[in-house]
Amino acid sequence: MIRMSSPNEFAQEKGRPVKGEGWRLSEEEYERLQDPRSVGLDVRSEGWRVGEEEWREWLGTLLRSGSRLVAPVEEDGLSLFRAVSSAAEVSLRGYGNTRWSPKEFLFPATEALFSYRLLGDEVELGAPPADGGEQVLFGLRPCDAAGLARLDEIFLEDGEDPSYAARRDRTAIVSLACDTARPECFCTAVGGSPAGTEGSDLQLLPLDGAWLLRALTPKGAQLVPASAAGWTPASAADWRRAEELRLAVEESIERDPLSPEWAPVLEGAFAQPLWEELGQRCVGCGVCAYVCPSCSCFDVKDEGDAFCGARCRLWDSCTLPQFTRHASGHDPRPTRPSRYRQRVLHKFAYFPLQHGGRLMCVGCGRCVRLCPVGIDIRESVERAFSAGASGEGRP
Amino acid sequence: MVQLAESKEPRPRVPEKGWEPRIVALVCNWCTYAGADMAGTARRTYAPNVRIIRLLCTGRLDPLFVVKAFQQGADGVLASGCHPGDCHYVQGNLLARRRFTVFSTLMDFLGLDRRRLQFAWVSASEGVKWARVVDEMTQAVREAGPLATWAAPAATAPSPPLLDPGAEPRQAPSREESGRITAQLQETAANLLAEGKVSVVAGYASGSLPGQMVPAFVTAPEEASRLAWNERCANNLTVYLPELLRKKGTGKVGLVVKSCDARALLGLMRESQLDRADVVLLGVPCTGVWDGGRLALKCYGCSEEVSPLADLTITPEGARQGPLASARERVAVSDPRDAEIAALESLPPEARWDYWQRQFARCLRCYACKAVCPLCYCATCIAEKHRPQWIPAAFDGAGNTAWNIARAMHLAGRCVGCDECARVCPADIRLDLLNRRLALEIESRFGYRADADPSAPPPLTTFRPDDPDEFA
Repeated sequence: MIRMSSPNEFAQEKGRPVKGEGWRLSEEEYERLQDPRSVGLDVRSEGWRVGEEEWREWLGTLLRSGSRLVAPVEEDGLSLFRAVSSAAEVSLRGYGNTRWSPKEFLFPATEALFSYRLLGDEVELGAPPADGGEQVLFGLRPCDAAGLARLDEIFLEDGEDPSYAARRDRTAIVSLACDTARPECFCTAVGGSPAGTEGSDLQLLPLDGAWLLRALTPKGAQLVPASAAGWTPASAADWRRAEELRLAVEESIERDPLSPEWAPVLEGAFAQPLWEELGQRCVGCGVCAYVCPSCSCFDVKDEGDAFCGARCRLWDSCTLPQFTRHASGHDPRPTRPSRYRQRVLHKFAYFPLQHGGRLMCVGCGRCVRLCPVGIDIRESVERAFSAGASGEGRP
Repeated sequence: MVQLAESKEPRPRVPEKGWEPRIVALVCNWCTYAGADMAGTARRTYAPNVRIIRLLCTGRLDPLFVVKAFQQGADGVLASGCHPGDCHYVQGNLLARRRFTVFSTLMDFLGLDRRRLQFAWVSASEGVKWARVVDEMTQAVREAGPLATWAAPAATAPSPPLLDPGAEPRQAPSREESGRITAQLQETAANLLAEGKVSVVAGYASGSLPGQMVPAFVTAPEEASRLAWNERCANNLTVYLPELLRKKGTGKVGLVVKSCDARALLGLMRESQLDRADVVLLGVPCTGVWDGGRLALKCYGCSEEVSPLADLTITPEGARQGPLASARERVAVSDPRDAEIAALESLPPEARWDYWQRQFARCLRCYACKAVCPLCYCATCIAEKHRPQWIPAAFDGAGNTAWNIARAMHLAGRCVGCDECARVCPADIRLDLLNRRLALEIESRFGYRADADPSAPPPLTTFRPDDPDEFA
C-alpha cells in the first residue's frame, strides 16, 4: 500500500498555513508572480543615498527579522553566493560577479521531491523537508536577477512548479548595478543593462563609494526598514551620477546585439554543417549550464537504496553525454556538436520563439569565461546566424 | 545522502550512549572467510561488530565498495584476504595490496582516520588471528568514535592558508620569440597538410577573451595561419586524440604538444589506446604556461623544454626532425605543491577532512575534470552508471566525495600531471594536490613515474612479490 501525504497534510504537519486546493496561490499573489516586471519599475521618486555602514545595518535588521540572507561571500578565493549568518560576512570587495549564479537558491541543484521508506509490506511516501521561510537574495548583478526572471518563465508560466513557486514567493531580490564590465560581459547585447531592473525588487546603484538604493516593486518597498526615515534621500545629482555610471559601463561593453529576431533564421540553420565546426572543440562537460543563471534543465533520479531514499530533481546539462540518451541506448543527439547545437539553439532560437522573443541568455558571460576550451556562445550565435541568413550549405 | 530529515546537524563525533562501532569486513572467499569460519567452529568469542561481505578475491575489491560502506553507516572497513603467495587466483591479493595501499594513502590524505580502514592477511587456518584482528580493529574504531556524516563542514571551519609558491623560476618567453615560433609552426603545419602527411593539425588559436588561447583544428594548408603558440596555450590537446583518430580518414593526426601533454600520449600507448604511427607530434619549446598571471604550478619543477617524443621540433629558426632542446639553461625548482601537501599532512586528520569536504561541497558535478582528462577515455564512466549506482548522483557531500575519490583512484598511476582537471575546475577544487599526492606515493613505493617507457604496465595493474605493505 502506498501512502502519500498531500501538500496540505504536509503543511499541517509542519504547522504552516494551509492554502486552498494544494499549493494554489491567491489571485493577487498569482498576478504578482505572473509579471513582477510590470510593477512600478520606474519608481524614481524615491531613493536613498546609503553608505556601506547603512546597508550592512539594514542586512543585520533583515537577519534579525528571521529572513534567510543570501549574499556574495569570499570562500577560498572564490566569490560565491552563500546563506550568511551575519552582515559582516557579505563581501562586495573586488566583486565583479560570483563564480556561478545564485539560481540554486530558487532551483536547488538537488531537491528531494518525496522520500520513500519500506515498512514491511508497505511503502511510506513522505513530503520533502520544508525549506525555510522568507529569503532575501542580496547583491545579485542585474544579469543574474534577469536570469532568475527567465527561470520564472520556465517554472511558473509554462505550468506552475509547486516547490519553485513556493520558494519564489518567499524570495525578494536586491540587485547591485555594475560599476565595471569584465571582458566576458555582454548583457547589453541580449537586451540587458548594467543597471537592468528585470527580476529585482530593490536595487543598489553604485555612486563612487556610496550607493543609491531604490525600491522597484511593492515587495521591495516592504523590505526597506523603518530606519530609512533617517537615511539621506537621493539628490538629483546622485541620480545623474548613477545614470552616468550606467552609461559608461554600457558603453564599455562593445558587443553587437544578438537579436531575438534571429531566432527563425537560427532555427532554420539547424542542419548547417557549421555546427560540426562550432562544436568540435566541446569536450562535453557541464560547466556552461551549471554556472548559467538561466539554464533550467533537470533530471529526476532516485537516491537511496531498496529500503529508503528519495526521488530527487537534479540539475542536468544538455552538453553531457547522457542528457538525451534513451533507455534503449539510442541517442538522438549522439555527438558533442549535436549537443552543443541544442544548447545554442535552445537559448537563442527555441526559447525566444516560444516566449515572445525573449532570449534565454542574460549575458553574464560565465560560460565564456569558464569553458575549459574557450567556446564563446556569442561567436557561435553570430556565425550560425550568418550561415543561416546566407543559406550556405543548406541541404 | 540527500537530506530527508529536517536536521542539518552532522552526526556527532562524540559517541552517543549505547553507540557500538559498525565495521564492514570485505573478505576473500578462500582464506579469510574460511578463517572466520574456523574462528566460529573453534567457538572463539570475538567482537560482534563486524558484518562480513564475501568477495571471491580481494582482487575484486573496488575502492568504491569501501566508500559505499562508509556512506551507508559503517564506522570502519576491514579488508582481508590470503597471505601473499597463497592467492587462489595466484595474484589477486598482490594486485589488491598495491591498490589498497594507494587507496589508504588517498583516504588518509582526505582526512579519514587511519584506524577506520585496515587490511589484514588472514589464512583459512588463522581463526585465532581473525578474532584478534577483529577485536583490535573494533577497539581502534571505538576509540575513533562514530564516523561523521559525509557532508559540508560547518561554514566556520578554517581553511588552511594556501602557501605562496614563491617567485617564478623563469620568465615568460618574449613576444618576439613566440611570434617566430608561431610563424614556423604555421609553415610546418601548412606543409604537412599540403603534402598530405597529416589530415588535421590540432593546435592553438586566439580565443575571444583578451590573451586567451583555445584549441583549434586545421584541415587545410591555408587555414594554418590561424595557429599560434605562446605561454597561454594551456590546454592539453591529447584529449582530442581518440576522437580525431576515429575521424581522421586516411592521413595522420598532427598534434601540437608541450612536454607535459606528450606524457599523456605515453599513457594512451601504455594502455593500447593509440598507435604511435598515427600521430605526428609537433613539439613546441615550452618554458612553462602562465595561468592567471603567474607560472602554472606544474611548471616549477619541469625542466623539459621539448618532449622527447616529438617527431618535429618547432624552433624559432625552423622545424627540426626529432626532439631538440635549445642550449638555454632552464631553471627548475622544487614543485611548490610538495610543500602544500606536507603542510596538509601535518594537520590533524579532522582538519584535513574539513579542508577537503569544504572543497567537495562546492563540486558542481560538471565533470569538466573528467572531460578534459586525456586518460579519462572510458566510453561510459562509473559516474554515469546507475544500476548499480556506485556514485550518488545528488550534488551533495556524499555524492561529491564519492565522485572525487573515484576520479582520483581511477587516475592513480595513470595521471600524467598535466593539471588540466585542476585548471578547469569551476569550484577551484585542488585536484592537482590529490593527483600529486598519489603520484608521489606510487613513485616512492613502486618506483613508477608517468614518463616511464610505454611498455611498462600501469603500476596498479601489476605487482612485485616483494611490494612493501604495512598490513597486519
